[in-house]
Amino acid sequence: MSHTIGLACIIDDDSMYVNLVKKIIETKNLCKNLMVFQNGKDALNYFEVILSNLDKSNIPEIIFLDLNMPVMDGWEFLENFTNIKNKLEKTITLYIVSSSINPVDIEKAKTINSVKDYLVKPVTIEDLEAIFLNETI
Amino acid sequence: MLQNELFNNVIRDLNTGYWELHVDPFKEIWSEKFYENLGFNKKELKSNIDYFLEHLIHKGDVDVFRDNFLNYRNNSINFKQHIKIKTKQGGYKLFRCATNDELPVNIKSEINLIFFFEVKLEPEQDISKDNFYYKETAQMTATGSWYVDFHKRKSYWDFETRRILEYPDDYIPSLKDSARYYAKDCRQQAADLFFNCAMAGTPFNTEIKMVTANKRVFWVRAIGKPVYNENKEIIGIRGVFQDIDDIKTKELRLEKSIDIIASQNSRLFNFAHIVSHNLRSHTSNLSLLVQLIEGIDDPQEKIGLIKEIKQISSSLNITIEHLNEIVAIHTNKDQEKKPIKFQDALNLVTSGIGQTIAVSQTKISADFSELEEINYIAAYLESVLLNLITNAIKYKHPDRNPVIEINTYIEDNKKYLKVSDNGRGIDMKLFKDKIFGMYKTFHYNKDAIGIGLFITKNQVESLNGSISVESEVDKGTTFIIEF
Repeated sequence: MSHTIGLACIIDDDSMYVNLVKKIIETKNLCKNLMVFQNGKDALNYFEVILSNLDKSNIPEIIFLDLNMPVMDGWEFLENFTNIKNKLEKTITLYIVSSSINPVDIEKAKTINSVKDYLVKPVTIEDLEAIFLNETI
Repeated sequence: MLQNELFNNVIRDLNTGYWELHVDPFKEIWSEKFYENLGFNKKELKSNIDYFLEHLIHKGDVDVFRDNFLNYRNNSINFKQHIKIKTKQGGYKLFRCATNDELPVNIKSEINLIFFFEVKLEPEQDISKDNFYYKETAQMTATGSWYVDFHKRKSYWDFETRRILEYPDDYIPSLKDSARYYAKDCRQQAADLFFNCAMAGTPFNTEIKMVTANKRVFWVRAIGKPVYNENKEIIGIRGVFQDIDDIKTKELRLEKSIDIIASQNSRLFNFAHIVSHNLRSHTSNLSLLVQLIEGIDDPQEKIGLIKEIKQISSSLNITIEHLNEIVAIHTNKDQEKKPIKFQDALNLVTSGIGQTIAVSQTKISADFSELEEINYIAAYLESVLLNLITNAIKYKHPDRNPVIEINTYIEDNKKYLKVSDNGRGIDMKLFKDKIFGMYKTFHYNKDAIGIGLFITKNQVESLNGSISVESEVDKGTTFIIEF
């Protein structure tokens, strides 16, 4: 029996992209709640607060992380996030979603444990559906 | 007859004296040039071999020459020999003696001849053959030799060392002040080399900058090795200095152009990356939008989404404009440079953004007294100042009004512009490599675009300059441009 994802998280500074993904999630009813952070720093601050409260309902099940962002980029977020993730006692699936097709980036992503997959923009609606459905099994 | 004429012409041109050896009667005839080269006239000397051996030839050469001469006269055995002959002034001149067959030119003569080719030497030189070749080599390769005598605490230079270091011939080098023969930034290196050679016997072979008597800095190859006495103690250092300034200057110029090419290459690569990345983010949004439109049935909602295309198209246009701006920098760099007063450029910039400066209560203090003007592309200088000033205002510290200090100066013959602010600063540990990248922003400002410093860097580098930054969070940021 499947359940719908409760909370997903997008960390991306491209507001157009975020709006479109939001729209797709709404239209396809892929998850109940979505939170958005414009850069790694904002997201990290959020997770640090969560860690002190340990309110599991506010922990997203899926994270879509962009790489190129101001203030704190995706790589730096990942460095800090790996520590936090282990303490959260909840499975979080993290996808990198970037427009970078630089092989160096793709290889680097493969070496990081907490990264499930590397998606190159543009993502398709089918991709998003598959990810959300996969998570619900 | 013809042969004789040729022969006479040859020896006249050679400026060479000679003897004719006659069998009968038993005598030698000395040519006019022979007397002339020694400074005597005919009547002052007796032209026979015994007189020559006794009065004219140097004692050290007598025995060999007598044997050669007699062998030649009696048995026609040709010979070649260097001899020193006394001149009228009382000194000795060096001659190369040669007989008919030993001559480089083919002269056939009925009479046996001995030629005396004068070997010209510098007056202070010891008259010796080896010394002559040594000197030629030294001059042709611009290599001077030297010796440091630890026992006498003295250093000795040869003529060529004096020449390449532009000191007069009678200059006595100082061992105590020897540091001053080296360029300031090479003195430690020189001291280390000599110390190691003197103490540990480590020979050296290095390129180093020296200073001539006329304060000209130039590159030499310095080679030195220890000199030992019978007890295996180091008693001095012997070595050479070779003037390699031409080669080294070319090498350094080549290195510099390689650096420029490498930096241009990396900028091109960066640019290609930027083009790819920035265009992709728009096209991927466009493709996502199209998918969304296709998947929606409600016509009203579809129309709503089509409006988003307008938004993407305008962002795409802005990106393309930014890219054009950067391309323009590289095509504009051949524009004519003109002398521009820094103050004029600053006035133009501050009047253009007078409103912003007034509203933010920014104080700008400028001092261009050290360097008032520069040969530059006016539009670039204005753009650089504009970017740095607007950045300083945009990222001012929340607790204080912006204060911007601008000044110019010259250091080591290089021209600099320095712009410092008291703004919120940039965390250098996090952003050092990214400050000048495109679309890199480090603050939460809404109007941060991340294009200004990227353009500034491109403008400065397209004219072979460089820009660097120092910053501390909450203290401020300083940009230094080297022209």
